[in-house]
Amino acid sequence: MTITNHITLIEETTKKWFRPDNTKLKKAIERTVAEGLFTFEDIKFAILALKEKVDTGQVSEWAKRAELSDVYNQMDKKVLCLHAGNLPLVGFQDALGTILSGANYYGKLSKKDPYLLAAFLDSLQESGLFNSIRYSTELDSFEGVQADKVLFAGSESSVETVKKELIRLQAVNEETEFTIRTAKFSIAYITSEEPEVVTDLVEAIFRYGSQGCRSVAVVVSPTRFSKLKCHFQDYIEAFWLKNPPTKKPTDAIEYQFAYNKAIGRDQAWLDHFLIQDSEDFPELDATLHWVEGDEEKVKELLNKYGGAVQTVYTAGEKIEGVKTEFLSMAQRPPLWWEPDGIPVI
Amino acid sequence: MSLLNPFDASLSFEEKALQIFEFQKKNNLVYKRFCKALGVGAIKSTDDIPLLPIQAFKDATVISSPNSKFKIQNLEFFQSSGTSGMQRSRHYLIDTAVYRDSIILGMNHFYDLDEYVILAYTPGYNANPHSSLVWMLNALIENDQSGLSRFLPLGDVIDSDLLDEITSTGKKVMLFGAAFGLLDLIEMGSPSLPKQSIILETGGMKTHRREMTKEELHEQLAVGFGLPTSSIHSEYGMTELLSQAYSQGSLWFECVPWMRVSIRNPQNPFEILPSGKEGLIGVIDLANLFSCSLILTGDKGIQREDGKFQVLGRWNPRNLRGCNFLIDD
Repeated sequence: MTITNHITLIEETTKKWFRPDNTKLKKAIERTVAEGLFTFEDIKFAILALKEKVDTGQVSEWAKRAELSDVYNQMDKKVLCLHAGNLPLVGFQDALGTILSGANYYGKLSKKDPYLLAAFLDSLQESGLFNSIRYSTELDSFEGVQADKVLFAGSESSVETVKKELIRLQAVNEETEFTIRTAKFSIAYITSEEPEVVTDLVEAIFRYGSQGCRSVAVVVSPTRFSKLKCHFQDYIEAFWLKNPPTKKPTDAIEYQFAYNKAIGRDQAWLDHFLIQDSEDFPELDATLHWVEGDEEKVKELLNKYGGAVQTVYTAGEKIEGVKTEFLSMAQRPPLWWEPDGIPVI
Repeated sequence: MSLLNPFDASLSFEEKALQIFEFQKKNNLVYKRFCKALGVGAIKSTDDIPLLPIQAFKDATVISSPNSKFKIQNLEFFQSSGTSGMQRSRHYLIDTAVYRDSIILGMNHFYDLDEYVILAYTPGYNANPHSSLVWMLNALIENDQSGLSRFLPLGDVIDSDLLDEITSTGKKVMLFGAAFGLLDLIEMGSPSLPKQSIILETGGMKTHRREMTKEELHEQLAVGFGLPTSSIHSEYGMTELLSQAYSQGSLWFECVPWMRVSIRNPQNPFEILPSGKEGLIGVIDLANLFSCSLILTGDKGIQREDGKFQVLGRWNPRNLRGCNFLIDD
């Protein structure tokens, strides 16, 4: 099979998989919701966002951008993907990119998202691709794989533990190349209070319970948070009416709220979420840091937060010297978006 | 100020801590608001006392005093070091005698200070006029009646004649300083220290360079100064605390009697973690009577059943948010 045929087959299979009459996908969704892993609203959003990209030809476009050809590809390579499970189908891009490149795919699926990606991988396996596709929710299943490359999102504390375990299992060797992502959140620079901008901002912040690295955790705006508080809250409540939050915030948020009160910091507590006027590193889930400032402040914060920032979004404004993306694309990125600025293929 | 004496041995730690909690809840505006927001009322056990995040010393003025007559600009304060533009902790001292007592009584709890001459080597700290470490060392030097205790000149080896003079008086050397500064002394060619000397490193990394584990550091100090590793001791202290904990020849720190440590769950700082579990170090330091005694530090630690604890570095908040592959997930 030529790489062109390979790409075409994947594109067709993927399009088919996203069709509404796919009973296997339907079953995977039902099981995921029934087990309380993700809300139906978040799964639906994730699937529709991906479907839109696939239906508009982004699979072949991605292959083209990556310059995949019969000469340049990853055939015979073994790529081990260790998927996180913080969002529904968060591993879709890595899995698709790996398989598209021609590499043999070994996927450690998260127990927090075990059905959706598995259903997709099953359909690719059944389509008769030349590359091998193996997946499991147990890391032990990859014993002896000796992967050429490992992809995963980690943190300083988890990286060493994961590497040690992979070495113990001989899933990797000395030659194995590691791509480790460490970005944790994104920044939005907002200069407009127009309804569509605020709607996009709310989506970028609150979708998936604010769990993704593409989720906005820090807003920089020339407008002080206290001025916008009520206006902003209306949009958030409207979002939550359609997408009810399910996770109870941790006690650490309550502690943070009390701390903010103690030092007189401006904040808004929205039952499930804390918005605070702070430039500190946004370490807690379910919090948004609002920073009054201009483009220079964005640059200053980028410098301060370092590699923890995935993307800077704007509603179209350019920031000199900073790569930005459209806010409206925060939760609907193209298939070829680059986690940590590193292309998947 | 007549009220509570953090060093009063006739009262138990629990009794004093609960009294100080009530005092600070009433007289410390920051802590008062903190407790109110948490809905904290009467408390019967020190385990239930909420600990104020240490960041408060950067974000606010943390003072406990029923007397509002003093002017804050007249108060002495300690300030953490840092580069320009960096937010720094500030610890106001309403009564410097409390800190002096805490230092002398604390050191005497672990060592017989009369037996020692203090030699202090603190590059990087001397440039900070509000360094609590330098203040502490000054207090210890002033406390030594022999007149031999002193700050060592920076960038120079330890004078052998001075060491001989100390030995001739029958006293022992306590070389006190920031960890990497002490390594500099070795590199510069300082002589071995007399046999019964003690090195007390403060863990500070103020003078630059490489990373190394605490064990490696102690090993190098021991070899470099010709002492057994059992003579390499450490001090755990910070600008925001007026008391210290000490480790004597191991990695386990022990608090002075008016200070207590617990390990807290970072996701729920109310929860005290069991022995052996890593978490945030929480401190109740009764010597912080006039600031805040009840502090949640930003340090990661682990504790044994006997209360001794290890410091495992700074807590890294970046582990909590976003995509993160974990083996068990």
